[in-house]
Amino acid sequence: MNFKSLALVAGLMGATALGAHSASADVKVGLLGGVSGPIAAMAPPMLDAAGLAFQQVNEQGGIMDGQNIKAVLGDSGCNPQNGVDAATKLVNIEQVIGLVGPHCSGAVLAVSNSVSVPAGVALVTPSGTSPEITNLDDKGTVYRTVPSDDFQGRSLARALVDRGTNKVAVAYLNNDYGTGLAQSFKAEFEAAGGEVAGFGAHEEGKASYRSNLAELSRGGADTLVIFDYGDGTGLTILRQALENGFFTNYVGADGMKSDAIINELGAENLETFMASSPVGVESDSLTLFNDAFAAAGGDPDTIFVNTAYDAAFVMALAIEKAGGDKAKVAAAISEISNGDGEAIKPGEWAKAKALIAEGKAIDYKGASGDLNFDEKGDVPGAYALFKVGGEGFVMEAALD
Amino acid sequence: MELAGLANYAVYMVIFIGIYSILALALNIQWGFTGLFNAGVSGFFAVGAYTSAVITSPEAMSRIGGFDLPLPLGWAAAMVASALVAWPIGKVCLRFRSDYLAIATIGIAEIIRLVIKSEGWMTGGARGINQVPRPAGDLPYLQSQLAYMAIVLLVLFVVYRLIETQIKAPWGRMMRGIRDNEAAAAAMGKDIEKRRLEAFIFGSAIMGLGGALFVHFNRSITPEAIDPMITTFLIWIMLILGGAGNNRGAILGTAVVWIIWSVSEILTDQLPHEYAIKAKYLRVFIIGLLLQLVLRFRPEGILPEPAYGPAVNNKRMQRGENAEAASLSKTGGASA
Repeated sequence: MNFKSLALVAGLMGATALGAHSASADVKVGLLGGVSGPIAAMAPPMLDAAGLAFQQVNEQGGIMDGQNIKAVLGDSGCNPQNGVDAATKLVNIEQVIGLVGPHCSGAVLAVSNSVSVPAGVALVTPSGTSPEITNLDDKGTVYRTVPSDDFQGRSLARALVDRGTNKVAVAYLNNDYGTGLAQSFKAEFEAAGGEVAGFGAHEEGKASYRSNLAELSRGGADTLVIFDYGDGTGLTILRQALENGFFTNYVGADGMKSDAIINELGAENLETFMASSPVGVESDSLTLFNDAFAAAGGDPDTIFVNTAYDAAFVMALAIEKAGGDKAKVAAAISEISNGDGEAIKPGEWAKAKALIAEGKAIDYKGASGDLNFDEKGDVPGAYALFKVGGEGFVMEAALD
Repeated sequence: MELAGLANYAVYMVIFIGIYSILALALNIQWGFTGLFNAGVSGFFAVGAYTSAVITSPEAMSRIGGFDLPLPLGWAAAMVASALVAWPIGKVCLRFRSDYLAIATIGIAEIIRLVIKSEGWMTGGARGINQVPRPAGDLPYLQSQLAYMAIVLLVLFVVYRLIETQIKAPWGRMMRGIRDNEAAAAAMGKDIEKRRLEAFIFGSAIMGLGGALFVHFNRSITPEAIDPMITTFLIWIMLILGGAGNNRGAILGTAVVWIIWSVSEILTDQLPHEYAIKAKYLRVFIIGLLLQLVLRFRPEGILPEPAYGPAVNNKRMQRGENAEAASLSKTGGASA
């Protein structure tokens, strides 16, 4: 059995080695993913989605002078050790023109710090959400197609000020989720002219949070923002705040957009409750991708597949735009999706290629959103506010 | 161009193997020479890595530090911090016999990992620590790596010499004596608990140094880097494969395991996409298989423990392997 599979592997290797000569003009792109390790279940669909993008490119005339994109796979293992190892090989041995991935934030930080930035290779991650990636000293070579964890808090803060709420109290769970959201919310809310009249962390799993709530309400705010989980402590806090009437309005983030809240507290009691949450923007782009991915045998509802597809397609567009010059790929990424130029949707490679050949500006509208990279290589992301209706959460308004 | 790429890759491999060799040497002090089954390498690695990162990185808003202090200070602090963490753990846990010590240390490493993950004011939590300086980090890719390689090799050499000297000294003989026959060592008046604690702290401090070297190479650290798979069990595999009780074996084992792991991916990447993904899992399997084969056919590792000095009753004799060869070189005493 072992011998058989070894023989199979050896045979395949031989076959590809023979085939390699005819395809030596391929453009190699590194595809780094957490194939083994904690996200082993998530990685294969993401890699398939990226592969779909390259397949579409190759089917629609290829890249530059009809060359094929060849994805070279690296296993980043969702940790810096394997990530740097795989990236070093892709960049130096395979001489890839750009990297799509790695998937996990820690690997993104390590790979960009010790491989891709020193080597001047562009990197687009589809799922590294750490705010630290924004602060990388990356010389403009690191991009991502997934919004930073920071952005939801900021987006929510702007929306509240826009809707006329100028004074709030914030209760947040003392972990990375709650703290990250609370800090970014506070910074943006105060910058937009609002006042945070109470700001307190709480620990998980206590029976009563009435003293925390009393302390928070002392500042005189009538709106409480809760960064917590609706099927955990957040539910207790919301229940006790409602029972005792500490505040009038309640706002949560995606963690609080949980059906447990409606089931436990009843929709009739939640008229003054709202929650923000990321939304895959309903768009032609998303439909195009979903259909293509489903046709290729994938499940479009799997997490991060649309960002993975976008990362790969963005990389292909940038290579085309840069004319295959490795040093120019990173700069080209910011030019192909910044809101200016003719819209390109997922799969429209032939159209994009023609426009780039004519020297016209293009603007890639991705499956996961419009992208529009900022100067840090981040995408703003799309969020919406939800209210509680008779049938569960209903979208109230999109956030900018 | 290709040649520069190969050089970059080779230099990277030397750096990585150098850092992991230091960890394997540290484990060798604890397991190879003292017989302490420390399954919590990642914990001490993490303490060293985070300590050095906090001390040398520029000031950050969301956590304590960074103090932007010079690098050697960070590395010294990494060793001190790991030793300080090891002390109470050793005090409590070293009374356990080997399997229980392993369970206790796994638990402790996990506690350290969770503390690092959740105490953001100290470690940056899940965000980790970024912008950790690397010496000569501003140089171009190859030069920067070469400079770091020189530093790692220098540290590795110093650590290797240090351990070799210590093991050949009376202290080392005593440790092996305690390892091989605790009762006899106790009867000869050795303070076994104290000596074990010394070895545990010594090894842990070196693990902290390895962590510090790692964090400055990657210029960042996140909780993902201290996963037990990649920072505890991998090092165990390297040490067992190379030869526990032999410092050169520890280094050789590290090199063999990492070269197989890394180079096999270059080969499997020649496969078509769908097979390439599957081949990634095969690599994990190969490392496991290798360990099984070594344990079955050569339990003493590639380089077995050498006979240190004439009067030493070494492990090989107890195991009855190479008994004849060993007894020829012995003046007597132990019978195979």
